[in-house]
Amino acid sequence: MSSVRVTKRTQSTILYLVVASVGIIFVFPFFWMVLSSFKLNKDILAVPLRFFPPVWNWNSYVRVFTAYPDFNFPRYILNSFIVTISAVLLCLFFSATSGYGFAKYRFKGNNFFFTLVLATIMIPFQAIVVPLFILVRQMGLQNSYAGLIIPESLTAFGVFMMRQFFYSVPDEFIESARIDGANEYAIFTRISMPMANTALLALVIFHAQWVWNLLIWPLILISTPEKVVLAQGIALFKGGYNTPYPEQLAAGVIACLPLVILYIFLSKYFVQGITMTGLKG
Amino acid sequence: MRKASYSVTRLQRHGYIFILPTLVFFSLFLIYPIISAFRLSLFEWNLLAPKEFVGLQNFIKMAGDSRLLNSYLRTIHFSAVSVAAINLLAFVFAVMLGSRLLRFKNFWQSLIFLPVVLSIVAVGVVWEFMYQGTGLIPIVLREIIGVSPDWLTDTRVAPYAVIITYVWRSVGYYMVIYIAGLLGVPESYYEAARIDGAGFWAQLFYITIPSLRNTFTLAIVSCVIFTFGQFSIQYVITQGGPSRSTEVLSLLIFREAFRLSKFGYSSGISVIFFLTLLIFSLIQLRLFKSGAVGA
Repeated sequence: MSSVRVTKRTQSTILYLVVASVGIIFVFPFFWMVLSSFKLNKDILAVPLRFFPPVWNWNSYVRVFTAYPDFNFPRYILNSFIVTISAVLLCLFFSATSGYGFAKYRFKGNNFFFTLVLATIMIPFQAIVVPLFILVRQMGLQNSYAGLIIPESLTAFGVFMMRQFFYSVPDEFIESARIDGANEYAIFTRISMPMANTALLALVIFHAQWVWNLLIWPLILISTPEKVVLAQGIALFKGGYNTPYPEQLAAGVIACLPLVILYIFLSKYFVQGITMTGLKG
Repeated sequence: MRKASYSVTRLQRHGYIFILPTLVFFSLFLIYPIISAFRLSLFEWNLLAPKEFVGLQNFIKMAGDSRLLNSYLRTIHFSAVSVAAINLLAFVFAVMLGSRLLRFKNFWQSLIFLPVVLSIVAVGVVWEFMYQGTGLIPIVLREIIGVSPDWLTDTRVAPYAVIITYVWRSVGYYMVIYIAGLLGVPESYYEAARIDGAGFWAQLFYITIPSLRNTFTLAIVSCVIFTFGQFSIQYVITQGGPSRSTEVLSLLIFREAFRLSKFGYSSGISVIFFLTLLIFSLIQLRLFKSGAVGA
Protein backbone atom coordinates (compact mmCIF):
# COMPACT_ATOMS: atom_id res chain seq x y z
CA MET A 1 0.00 0.00 0.00
CA SER A 2 2.66 2.50 1.00
CA SER A 3 4.83 1.54 -1.99
CA VAL A 4 1.94 2.36 -4.30
CA ARG A 5 1.70 5.76 -2.68
CA VAL A 6 5.46 6.32 -3.08
CA THR A 7 5.48 5.49 -6.82
CA LYS A 8 2.47 7.72 -7.29
CA ARG A 9 4.27 10.54 -5.55
CA THR A 10 7.42 9.93 -7.66
CA GLN A 11 5.34 9.92 -10.83
CA SER A 12 3.68 13.15 -9.89
CA THR A 13 7.01 14.77 -8.99
CA ILE A 14 8.49 13.78 -12.35
CA LEU A 15 5.40 15.06 -14.13
CA TYR A 16 5.60 18.41 -12.35
CA LEU A 17 9.31 18.71 -13.15
CA VAL A 18 8.73 17.98 -16.84
CA VAL A 19 5.72 20.28 -17.13
CA ALA A 20 7.51 23.08 -15.30
CA SER A 21 10.61 22.77 -17.52
CA VAL A 22 8.47 22.82 -20.64
CA GLY A 23 6.57 25.82 -19.30
CA ILE A 24 9.81 27.69 -18.64
CA ILE A 25 11.15 26.92 -22.13
CA PHE A 26 7.96 28.29 -23.66
CA VAL A 27 7.87 31.48 -21.63
CA PHE A 28 11.56 32.19 -21.44
CA PRO A 29 12.22 33.78 -24.86
CA PHE A 30 9.50 36.37 -24.18
CA PHE A 31 10.94 37.01 -20.76
CA TRP A 32 14.40 37.27 -22.34
CA MET A 33 13.11 39.72 -24.93
CA VAL A 34 11.71 41.99 -22.21
CA LEU A 35 14.83 41.67 -20.05
CA SER A 36 17.23 42.30 -22.92
CA SER A 37 15.30 45.32 -24.15
CA PHE A 38 16.34 47.02 -20.90
CA LYS A 39 20.05 46.33 -21.41
CA LEU A 40 22.61 48.72 -22.84
CA ASN A 41 23.84 47.81 -26.30
CA LYS A 42 27.32 47.04 -24.94
CA ASP A 43 25.92 44.54 -22.40
CA ILE A 44 23.39 42.81 -24.59
CA LEU A 45 25.69 40.25 -26.25
CA ALA A 46 28.57 40.63 -23.81
CA VAL A 47 30.73 37.69 -22.76
CA PRO A 48 30.30 36.49 -20.07
CA LEU A 49 26.54 36.60 -20.30
CA ARG A 50 24.87 39.19 -18.10
CA PHE A 51 21.55 37.67 -17.14
CA PHE A 52 19.97 40.76 -15.60
CA PRO A 53 20.75 44.20 -17.02
CA PRO A 54 23.73 45.63 -15.07
CA VAL A 55 22.04 48.99 -15.61
CA TRP A 56 18.28 49.16 -16.22
CA ASN A 57 18.01 51.26 -19.33
CA TRP A 58 14.59 52.49 -20.41
CA ASN A 59 16.08 54.57 -23.13
CA SER A 60 15.58 52.05 -25.95
CA TYR A 61 11.82 52.47 -25.64
CA VAL A 62 12.25 56.20 -26.05
CA ARG A 63 14.74 55.90 -28.89
CA VAL A 64 12.45 53.60 -30.92
CA PHE A 65 10.05 56.52 -31.11
CA THR A 66 12.44 59.42 -31.40
CA ALA A 67 15.89 58.48 -32.68
CA TYR A 68 14.97 57.24 -36.17
CA PRO A 69 13.49 59.89 -38.44
CA ASP A 70 12.81 57.28 -41.15
CA PHE A 71 10.62 55.24 -38.84
CA ASN A 72 7.37 56.58 -37.46
CA PHE A 73 6.38 53.94 -34.91
CA PRO A 74 3.42 55.82 -33.40
CA ARG A 75 1.96 55.94 -36.88
CA TYR A 76 2.67 52.23 -37.49
CA ILE A 77 0.94 51.35 -34.23
CA LEU A 78 -2.05 53.49 -35.17
CA ASN A 79 -2.18 51.89 -38.62
CA SER A 80 -2.03 48.40 -37.15
CA PHE A 81 -4.92 49.23 -34.83
CA ILE A 82 -6.98 50.74 -37.65
CA VAL A 83 -6.38 47.77 -39.94
CA THR A 84 -6.84 45.10 -37.27
CA ILE A 85 -10.02 46.57 -35.78
CA SER A 86 -11.62 47.19 -39.19
CA ALA A 87 -10.67 43.81 -40.58
CA VAL A 88 -11.97 42.05 -37.47
CA LEU A 89 -15.29 43.93 -37.59
CA LEU A 90 -15.67 43.18 -41.27
CA CYS A 91 -14.81 39.54 -40.62
CA LEU A 92 -17.48 39.39 -37.90
CA PHE A 93 -20.01 40.85 -40.34
CA PHE A 94 -19.25 38.35 -43.11
CA SER A 95 -19.00 35.38 -40.78
CA ALA A 96 -22.12 36.14 -38.74
CA THR A 97 -24.41 36.96 -41.67
CA SER A 98 -23.39 34.09 -43.89
CA GLY A 99 -23.00 31.64 -41.00
CA TYR A 100 -26.58 32.49 -40.04
CA GLY A 101 -27.81 32.25 -43.61
CA PHE A 102 -26.22 28.86 -44.13
CA ALA A 103 -27.36 27.49 -40.78
CA LYS A 104 -30.91 28.77 -40.57
CA TYR A 105 -32.31 28.88 -44.13
CA ARG A 106 -32.98 25.97 -46.45
CA PHE A 107 -32.70 27.63 -49.83
CA LYS A 108 -31.67 26.10 -53.10
CA GLY A 109 -27.91 25.84 -53.45
CA ASN A 110 -27.21 26.20 -49.73
CA ASN A 111 -24.85 23.24 -49.73
CA PHE A 112 -23.21 24.23 -52.98
CA PHE A 113 -22.45 27.79 -51.86
CA PHE A 114 -21.27 26.64 -48.47
CA THR A 115 -18.90 24.18 -50.10
CA LEU A 116 -17.68 26.96 -52.37
CA VAL A 117 -16.91 29.25 -49.42
CA LEU A 118 -15.34 26.44 -47.46
CA ALA A 119 -13.23 25.44 -50.44
CA THR A 120 -11.36 28.72 -50.10
CA ILE A 121 -9.60 27.14 -47.12
CA MET A 122 -7.65 25.33 -49.82
CA ILE A 123 -6.31 28.62 -51.13
CA PRO A 124 -3.31 29.63 -49.06
CA PHE A 125 -2.80 33.39 -48.97
CA GLN A 126 0.76 33.05 -50.26
CA ALA A 127 -0.50 31.30 -53.39
CA ILE A 128 -2.72 34.22 -54.42
CA VAL A 129 -0.66 37.24 -53.38
CA VAL A 130 0.50 37.95 -56.93
CA PRO A 131 -2.93 38.04 -58.68
CA LEU A 132 -4.49 39.59 -55.58
CA PHE A 133 -1.95 42.39 -55.70
CA ILE A 134 -2.69 42.98 -59.38
CA LEU A 135 -6.45 43.04 -58.69
CA VAL A 136 -6.19 45.39 -55.72
CA ARG A 137 -3.86 47.63 -57.67
CA GLN A 138 -6.29 47.77 -60.60
CA MET A 139 -9.01 48.79 -58.16
CA GLY A 140 -6.79 51.69 -57.14
CA LEU A 141 -6.39 50.39 -53.61
CA GLN A 142 -2.61 50.16 -53.50
CA ASN A 143 -1.27 52.01 -50.47
CA SER A 144 -4.73 52.27 -48.95
CA TYR A 145 -6.27 51.01 -45.72
CA ALA A 146 -9.08 49.38 -47.72
CA GLY A 147 -6.53 47.42 -49.74
CA LEU A 148 -5.06 46.03 -46.52
CA ILE A 149 -8.35 45.51 -44.72
CA ILE A 150 -10.64 43.82 -47.25
CA PRO A 151 -8.48 40.82 -48.23
CA GLU A 152 -7.48 40.35 -44.58
CA SER A 153 -11.08 40.20 -43.41
CA LEU A 154 -12.05 37.07 -45.34
CA THR A 155 -11.79 33.76 -43.59
CA ALA A 156 -13.69 30.60 -44.32
CA PHE A 157 -12.86 29.49 -40.78
CA GLY A 158 -15.01 32.30 -39.46
CA VAL A 159 -17.95 31.39 -41.70
CA PHE A 160 -17.61 27.76 -40.70
CA MET A 161 -17.42 28.62 -37.02
CA MET A 162 -20.48 30.87 -37.03
CA ARG A 163 -22.48 28.33 -39.04
CA GLN A 164 -21.63 25.67 -36.48
CA PHE A 165 -22.67 28.02 -33.72
CA PHE A 166 -26.02 29.01 -35.27
CA TYR A 167 -26.81 25.34 -35.86
CA SER A 168 -26.77 24.92 -32.11
CA VAL A 169 -29.34 27.71 -31.60
CA PRO A 170 -32.81 26.11 -31.44
CA ASP A 171 -35.15 27.06 -34.30
CA GLU A 172 -37.98 27.66 -31.80
CA PHE A 173 -36.56 31.07 -30.85
CA ILE A 174 -36.72 32.17 -34.46
CA GLU A 175 -40.12 30.59 -35.11
CA SER A 176 -41.75 32.25 -32.13
CA ALA A 177 -40.34 35.65 -33.14
CA ARG A 178 -41.76 35.13 -36.62
CA ILE A 179 -45.17 34.38 -35.16
CA ASP A 180 -44.87 37.64 -33.22
CA GLY A 181 -44.44 39.33 -36.57
CA ALA A 182 -40.75 40.25 -36.43
CA ASN A 183 -39.06 40.40 -39.84
CA GLU A 184 -36.07 38.24 -40.67
CA TYR A 185 -33.45 40.96 -40.19
CA ALA A 186 -34.83 42.10 -36.86
CA ILE A 187 -34.74 38.48 -35.72
CA PHE A 188 -31.12 38.28 -36.77
CA THR A 189 -29.96 41.49 -35.08
CA ARG A 190 -32.14 41.40 -31.95
CA ILE A 191 -32.44 37.71 -31.17
CA SER A 192 -29.80 35.61 -32.87
CA MET A 193 -26.78 37.91 -32.65
CA PRO A 194 -26.98 38.55 -28.89
CA MET A 195 -26.92 34.80 -28.35
CA ALA A 196 -23.72 34.54 -30.37
CA ASN A 197 -21.57 36.63 -28.02
CA THR A 198 -19.22 33.83 -27.05
CA ALA A 199 -18.67 32.68 -30.61
CA LEU A 200 -18.14 36.26 -31.79
CA LEU A 201 -15.58 36.98 -29.06
CA ALA A 202 -13.76 33.79 -29.97
CA LEU A 203 -13.67 34.95 -33.55
CA VAL A 204 -12.43 38.41 -32.49
CA ILE A 205 -9.30 37.12 -30.80
CA PHE A 206 -8.79 34.41 -33.38
CA HIS A 207 -8.87 36.84 -36.28
CA ALA A 208 -7.21 39.80 -34.54
CA GLN A 209 -4.17 37.60 -34.03
CA TRP A 210 -4.06 36.70 -37.72
CA VAL A 211 -4.46 40.27 -38.99
CA TRP A 212 -2.06 41.81 -36.49
CA ASN A 213 0.66 39.38 -37.60
CA LEU A 214 0.23 39.42 -41.33
CA LEU A 215 3.48 40.55 -42.92
CA ILE A 216 3.64 39.51 -46.56
CA TRP A 217 0.54 41.46 -47.64
CA PRO A 218 1.58 44.86 -46.21
CA LEU A 219 5.12 44.33 -47.51
CA ILE A 220 3.68 43.91 -51.00
CA LEU A 221 0.88 46.44 -50.96
CA ILE A 222 2.27 49.34 -48.96
CA SER A 223 5.13 51.51 -50.12
CA THR A 224 4.13 54.88 -48.67
CA PRO A 225 5.44 55.42 -45.12
CA GLU A 226 2.08 56.74 -43.85
CA LYS A 227 0.37 53.37 -44.32
CA VAL A 228 3.07 51.02 -42.97
CA VAL A 229 1.76 48.66 -40.25
CA LEU A 230 3.67 47.65 -37.15
CA ALA A 231 4.78 44.15 -38.19
CA GLN A 232 6.09 45.54 -41.46
CA GLY A 233 7.70 48.51 -39.69
CA ILE A 234 9.62 46.26 -37.33
CA ALA A 235 10.73 43.95 -40.15
CA LEU A 236 12.07 46.96 -42.07
CA PHE A 237 13.53 48.48 -38.90
CA LYS A 238 15.44 45.25 -38.30
CA GLY A 239 16.53 44.80 -41.90
CA GLY A 240 17.24 48.30 -43.15
CA TYR A 241 19.49 49.78 -40.52
CA ASN A 242 22.28 48.48 -38.41
CA THR A 243 19.74 48.77 -35.63
CA PRO A 244 20.94 48.06 -32.08
CA TYR A 245 19.36 44.96 -30.53
CA PRO A 246 17.88 46.68 -27.47
CA GLU A 247 15.82 48.88 -29.76
CA GLN A 248 14.75 46.01 -32.02
CA LEU A 249 13.65 44.10 -28.94
CA ALA A 250 11.86 47.09 -27.45
CA ALA A 251 9.89 47.44 -30.67
CA GLY A 252 9.14 43.70 -30.48
CA VAL A 253 7.84 43.99 -26.93
CA ILE A 254 5.58 46.86 -27.99
CA ALA A 255 4.22 44.74 -30.87
CA CYS A 256 3.44 41.87 -28.49
CA LEU A 257 1.61 43.87 -25.83
CA PRO A 258 -1.81 44.42 -27.48
CA LEU A 259 -2.33 40.73 -28.23
CA VAL A 260 -0.95 39.57 -24.90
CA ILE A 261 -3.37 41.93 -23.15
CA LEU A 262 -6.26 40.82 -25.37
CA TYR A 263 -5.34 37.22 -24.61
CA ILE A 264 -5.29 37.82 -20.86
CA PHE A 265 -8.86 39.14 -21.01
CA LEU A 266 -10.24 36.77 -23.62
CA SER A 267 -8.14 33.62 -23.18
CA LYS A 268 -11.23 31.56 -22.39
CA TYR A 269 -12.75 32.50 -25.74
CA PHE A 270 -9.52 31.92 -27.61
CA VAL A 271 -9.43 28.33 -26.46
CA GLN A 272 -13.13 27.93 -27.26
CA GLY A 273 -12.55 29.39 -30.69
CA ILE A 274 -9.83 26.90 -31.51
CA THR A 275 -12.04 24.16 -30.22
CA MET A 276 -15.01 25.28 -32.30
CA THR A 277 -13.08 25.58 -35.55
CA GLY A 278 -10.82 22.66 -34.90
CA LEU A 279 -12.92 20.01 -33.41
CA LYS A 280 -15.98 18.85 -35.23
CA GLY A 281 -14.52 15.65 -36.61
CA MET B 1 -51.32 23.46 -47.79
CA ARG B 2 -49.84 24.57 -51.07
CA LYS B 3 -49.99 28.15 -50.03
CA ALA B 4 -48.18 27.46 -46.76
CA SER B 5 -45.31 25.67 -48.46
CA TYR B 6 -45.04 28.51 -50.97
CA SER B 7 -44.61 31.09 -48.21
CA VAL B 8 -42.13 28.85 -46.42
CA THR B 9 -40.05 28.71 -49.58
CA ARG B 10 -40.18 32.48 -49.88
CA LEU B 11 -39.12 32.82 -46.28
CA GLN B 12 -36.17 30.54 -46.86
CA ARG B 13 -35.01 32.74 -49.69
CA HIS B 14 -33.95 35.38 -47.19
CA GLY B 15 -30.94 33.12 -46.79
CA TYR B 16 -29.59 34.41 -50.09
CA ILE B 17 -29.43 37.93 -48.73
CA PHE B 18 -27.56 36.76 -45.66
CA ILE B 19 -24.91 34.96 -47.68
CA LEU B 20 -24.68 37.51 -50.48
CA PRO B 21 -21.95 39.82 -49.06
CA THR B 22 -19.74 36.84 -48.25
CA LEU B 23 -20.27 35.26 -51.67
CA VAL B 24 -19.41 38.49 -53.50
CA PHE B 25 -16.27 39.26 -51.51
CA PHE B 26 -14.99 35.69 -51.38
CA SER B 27 -15.49 35.30 -55.11
CA LEU B 28 -13.73 38.55 -55.92
CA PHE B 29 -10.80 38.39 -53.49
CA LEU B 30 -10.16 34.65 -53.14
CA ILE B 31 -11.67 32.64 -55.97
CA TYR B 32 -11.01 35.06 -58.80
CA PRO B 33 -7.31 35.50 -57.83
CA ILE B 34 -6.63 31.77 -57.82
CA ILE B 35 -8.18 31.41 -61.28
CA SER B 36 -6.24 34.47 -62.32
CA ALA B 37 -3.00 32.83 -61.11
CA PHE B 38 -3.55 29.98 -63.57
CA ARG B 39 -4.22 32.42 -66.41
CA LEU B 40 -1.27 34.70 -65.57
CA SER B 41 1.10 31.75 -65.45
CA LEU B 42 0.73 31.56 -69.25
CA PHE B 43 1.98 35.11 -69.71
CA GLU B 44 5.13 37.09 -69.33
CA TRP B 45 4.35 40.37 -67.64
CA ASN B 46 6.18 43.03 -65.62
CA LEU B 47 2.97 45.04 -64.96
CA LEU B 48 4.18 47.94 -67.11
CA ALA B 49 4.66 46.54 -70.63
CA PRO B 50 1.69 44.74 -72.24
CA LYS B 51 1.16 41.12 -71.25
CA GLU B 52 2.84 38.68 -73.61
CA PHE B 53 1.32 35.23 -74.07
CA VAL B 54 4.04 32.59 -73.75
CA GLY B 55 1.99 29.40 -73.36
CA LEU B 56 3.62 26.83 -71.13
CA GLN B 57 7.04 28.42 -71.40
CA ASN B 58 7.03 29.54 -67.75
CA PHE B 59 6.49 25.94 -66.70
CA ILE B 60 9.24 24.70 -69.00
CA LYS B 61 11.57 27.29 -67.50
CA MET B 62 10.49 26.25 -64.01
CA ALA B 63 11.42 22.62 -64.70
CA GLY B 64 15.02 23.68 -65.21
CA ASP B 65 15.15 26.32 -62.48
CA SER B 66 17.50 25.03 -59.79
CA ARG B 67 16.61 27.89 -57.48
CA LEU B 68 12.94 26.90 -57.63
CA LEU B 69 13.78 23.24 -57.09
CA ASN B 70 15.86 24.23 -54.07
CA SER B 71 12.96 26.28 -52.66
CA TYR B 72 10.49 23.51 -53.29
CA LEU B 73 12.61 20.94 -51.48
CA ARG B 74 13.38 23.39 -48.65
CA THR B 75 9.66 24.04 -48.22
CA ILE B 76 8.87 20.33 -48.08
CA HIS B 77 11.71 19.73 -45.63
CA PHE B 78 10.64 22.66 -43.46
CA SER B 79 7.00 21.55 -43.53
CA ALA B 80 7.61 17.84 -42.93
CA VAL B 81 9.94 18.34 -39.96
CA SER B 82 7.85 21.16 -38.45
CA VAL B 83 4.51 19.40 -38.82
CA ALA B 84 5.87 16.18 -37.31
CA ALA B 85 7.53 17.98 -34.39
CA ILE B 86 4.59 20.30 -33.71
CA ASN B 87 1.98 17.54 -33.66
CA LEU B 88 4.10 15.11 -31.67
CA LEU B 89 4.92 17.70 -29.01
CA ALA B 90 1.38 19.10 -28.98
CA PHE B 91 -0.06 15.64 -28.41
CA VAL B 92 2.46 14.75 -25.69
CA PHE B 93 1.84 18.06 -23.89
CA ALA B 94 -1.92 17.58 -24.17
CA VAL B 95 -1.64 14.12 -22.60
CA MET B 96 0.65 15.44 -19.84
CA LEU B 97 -1.71 18.31 -19.05
CA GLY B 98 -4.62 15.87 -19.07
CA SER B 99 -3.05 13.78 -16.30
CA ARG B 100 -5.06 13.52 -13.11
CA LEU B 101 -1.84 13.93 -11.15
CA LEU B 102 -1.46 17.50 -12.34
CA ARG B 103 -3.06 20.58 -10.79
CA PHE B 104 -3.22 24.20 -12.05
CA LYS B 105 -3.79 22.92 -15.59
CA ASN B 106 -4.93 26.27 -16.93
CA PHE B 107 -1.76 27.91 -15.68
CA TRP B 108 0.55 25.38 -17.38
CA GLN B 109 -1.53 25.48 -20.51
CA SER B 110 -1.31 29.24 -20.77
CA LEU B 111 2.50 29.12 -20.39
CA ILE B 112 2.83 26.81 -23.40
CA PHE B 113 0.21 28.82 -25.27
CA LEU B 114 1.89 32.20 -24.73
CA PRO B 115 4.11 32.11 -27.88
CA VAL B 116 0.97 31.71 -30.03
CA VAL B 117 -0.23 35.19 -29.13
CA LEU B 118 3.13 36.91 -29.52
CA SER B 119 3.79 39.01 -32.60
CA ILE B 120 5.48 36.76 -35.19
CA VAL B 121 7.90 39.49 -36.18
CA ALA B 122 8.87 39.99 -32.55
CA VAL B 123 9.37 36.23 -32.23
CA GLY B 124 11.70 36.38 -35.22
CA VAL B 125 13.60 39.30 -33.73
CA VAL B 126 14.19 37.66 -30.36
CA TRP B 127 15.18 34.23 -31.73
CA GLU B 128 17.57 35.76 -34.25
CA PHE B 129 19.08 37.61 -31.30
CA MET B 130 19.32 34.44 -29.21
CA TYR B 131 21.00 32.51 -32.07
CA GLN B 132 23.83 35.07 -32.34
CA GLY B 133 27.37 33.79 -31.68
CA THR B 134 27.45 35.20 -28.17
CA GLY B 135 23.69 34.99 -27.73
CA LEU B 136 21.81 32.96 -25.19
CA ILE B 137 21.43 29.67 -27.07
CA PRO B 138 25.10 29.09 -28.04
CA ILE B 139 26.22 30.13 -24.55
CA VAL B 140 23.81 27.76 -22.81
CA LEU B 141 24.68 24.92 -25.21
CA ARG B 142 28.42 25.39 -24.66
CA GLU B 143 27.80 25.38 -20.93
CA ILE B 144 25.83 22.12 -21.05
CA ILE B 145 27.30 20.03 -23.89
CA GLY B 146 30.48 21.92 -24.69
CA VAL B 147 29.69 22.84 -28.32
CA SER B 148 27.21 24.87 -30.30
CA PRO B 149 26.73 25.04 -34.08
CA ASP B 150 26.73 28.34 -35.95
CA TRP B 151 22.96 28.62 -36.00
CA LEU B 152 22.55 31.31 -38.61
CA THR B 153 25.60 30.89 -40.85
CA ASP B 154 25.87 27.12 -41.30
CA THR B 155 23.67 26.00 -44.20
CA ARG B 156 23.05 22.63 -42.55
CA VAL B 157 21.91 24.18 -39.27
CA ALA B 158 20.03 27.34 -40.28
CA PRO B 159 16.94 25.43 -41.53
CA TYR B 160 16.67 23.89 -38.06
CA ALA B 161 17.09 27.26 -36.38
CA VAL B 162 14.03 28.39 -38.31
CA ILE B 163 12.15 25.16 -37.61
CA ILE B 164 12.82 25.34 -33.85
CA THR B 165 11.49 28.89 -33.74
CA TYR B 166 8.40 27.99 -35.73
CA VAL B 167 7.69 24.87 -33.67
CA TRP B 168 8.09 26.80 -30.42
CA ARG B 169 5.66 29.41 -31.66
CA SER B 170 3.00 26.95 -32.94
CA VAL B 171 2.86 24.02 -30.50
CA GLY B 172 0.47 25.70 -28.07
CA TYR B 173 -2.17 26.17 -30.73
CA TYR B 174 -2.25 22.51 -31.71
CA MET B 175 -1.97 21.43 -28.09
CA VAL B 176 -5.33 23.09 -27.44
CA ILE B 177 -6.86 21.17 -30.33
CA TYR B 178 -5.57 17.92 -28.85
CA ILE B 179 -6.75 18.87 -25.36
CA ALA B 180 -10.23 19.45 -26.77
CA GLY B 181 -10.01 16.08 -28.51
CA LEU B 182 -8.98 14.34 -25.29
CA LEU B 183 -11.94 15.84 -23.43
CA GLY B 184 -14.20 14.21 -26.00
CA VAL B 185 -13.08 10.68 -25.14
CA PRO B 186 -15.67 9.18 -22.76
CA GLU B 187 -14.26 8.56 -19.28
CA SER B 188 -16.07 5.21 -19.21
CA TYR B 189 -13.62 3.80 -21.81
CA TYR B 190 -10.74 4.41 -19.41
CA GLU B 191 -12.65 3.03 -16.45
CA ALA B 192 -13.39 -0.16 -18.35
CA ALA B 193 -9.73 -0.42 -19.39
CA ARG B 194 -8.52 0.03 -15.81
CA ILE B 195 -10.86 -2.70 -14.62
CA ASP B 196 -9.25 -4.93 -17.26
CA GLY B 197 -5.88 -3.99 -15.77
CA ALA B 198 -4.63 -1.80 -18.61
CA GLY B 199 -1.76 0.48 -17.60
CA PHE B 200 -0.97 3.99 -18.82
CA TRP B 201 0.68 2.90 -22.08
CA ALA B 202 -2.00 0.37 -22.95
CA GLN B 203 -4.68 3.01 -22.41
CA LEU B 204 -2.72 5.46 -24.54
CA PHE B 205 -2.27 3.11 -27.48
CA TYR B 206 -5.60 1.26 -27.37
CA ILE B 207 -7.97 4.03 -26.31
CA THR B 208 -6.57 7.54 -26.56
CA ILE B 209 -4.81 7.42 -29.92
CA PRO B 210 -7.54 5.50 -31.81
CA SER B 211 -10.24 7.81 -30.38
CA LEU B 212 -8.36 10.87 -31.59
CA ARG B 213 -8.03 9.71 -35.19
CA ASN B 214 -10.11 12.56 -36.57
CA THR B 215 -8.41 15.12 -34.37
CA PHE B 216 -5.01 13.95 -35.60
CA THR B 217 -6.01 14.16 -39.24
CA LEU B 218 -7.58 17.57 -38.84
CA ALA B 219 -4.68 19.03 -36.84
CA ILE B 220 -2.04 17.63 -39.18
CA VAL B 221 -3.76 18.70 -42.38
CA SER B 222 -4.41 22.25 -41.22
CA CYS B 223 -0.87 22.39 -39.87
CA VAL B 224 0.47 21.41 -43.31
CA ILE B 225 -1.48 24.23 -44.97
CA PHE B 226 -0.28 26.88 -42.52
CA THR B 227 3.29 25.62 -42.48
CA PHE B 228 3.68 25.32 -46.24
CA GLY B 229 2.96 29.02 -46.64
CA GLN B 230 5.06 30.21 -43.71
CA PHE B 231 6.78 33.45 -44.63
CA SER B 232 7.33 35.79 -41.68
CA ILE B 233 9.78 33.75 -39.64
CA GLN B 234 12.15 33.10 -42.53
CA TYR B 235 11.80 36.68 -43.71
CA VAL B 236 12.76 38.10 -40.31
CA ILE B 237 15.38 35.60 -39.12
CA THR B 238 17.35 34.59 -42.21
CA GLN B 239 15.89 36.38 -45.27
CA GLY B 240 16.26 32.99 -46.98
CA GLY B 241 19.97 32.65 -46.27
CA PRO B 242 22.62 31.47 -45.72
CA SER B 243 23.12 30.37 -49.35
CA ARG B 244 19.33 30.03 -49.85
CA SER B 245 19.16 27.23 -47.31
CA THR B 246 15.95 28.66 -45.83
CA GLU B 247 14.48 30.20 -48.99
CA VAL B 248 11.01 28.66 -48.89
CA LEU B 249 8.50 29.03 -51.73
CA SER B 250 6.65 32.01 -50.30
CA LEU B 251 9.94 33.93 -50.06
CA LEU B 252 10.74 32.99 -53.65
CA ILE B 253 7.30 34.09 -54.91
CA PHE B 254 7.73 37.35 -53.04
CA ARG B 255 11.14 37.87 -54.58
CA GLU B 256 10.28 36.89 -58.16
CA ALA B 257 7.15 39.04 -58.23
CA PHE B 258 7.90 42.06 -56.14
CA ARG B 259 11.66 42.41 -56.42
CA LEU B 260 12.14 41.19 -60.00
CA SER B 261 8.68 42.09 -61.41
CA LYS B 262 8.29 38.65 -63.00
CA PHE B 263 4.56 38.41 -62.46
CA GLY B 264 3.87 35.64 -64.96
CA TYR B 265 6.67 33.43 -63.72
CA SER B 266 5.81 33.96 -60.06
CA SER B 267 2.17 33.10 -60.84
CA GLY B 268 3.47 29.83 -62.25
CA ILE B 269 5.23 29.15 -58.95
CA SER B 270 1.99 30.00 -57.13
CA VAL B 271 0.15 27.45 -59.27
CA ILE B 272 2.66 24.73 -58.35
CA PHE B 273 2.39 25.81 -54.72
CA PHE B 274 -1.41 25.62 -54.87
CA LEU B 275 -1.55 22.25 -56.62
CA THR B 276 0.85 20.73 -54.11
CA LEU B 277 -1.41 21.73 -51.26
CA LEU B 278 -4.63 20.82 -53.04
CA ILE B 279 -4.43 17.16 -52.19
CA PHE B 280 -3.95 17.87 -48.49
CA SER B 281 -6.70 20.48 -48.53
CA LEU B 282 -9.23 18.17 -50.14
CA ILE B 283 -8.81 15.84 -47.21
CA GLN B 284 -9.39 18.76 -44.87
CA LEU B 285 -12.48 19.89 -46.75
CA ARG B 286 -14.00 16.44 -46.48
CA LEU B 287 -13.30 16.40 -42.78
CA PHE B 288 -14.96 19.76 -42.27
CA LYS B 289 -17.98 18.67 -44.22
CA SER B 290 -18.41 15.45 -42.29
CA GLY B 291 -18.09 17.48 -39.09
CA ALA B 292 -20.69 19.97 -40.27
CA VAL B 293 -23.15 17.21 -41.07
CA GLY B 294 -22.64 15.77 -37.62
CA ALA B 295 -23.52 19.04 -35.92
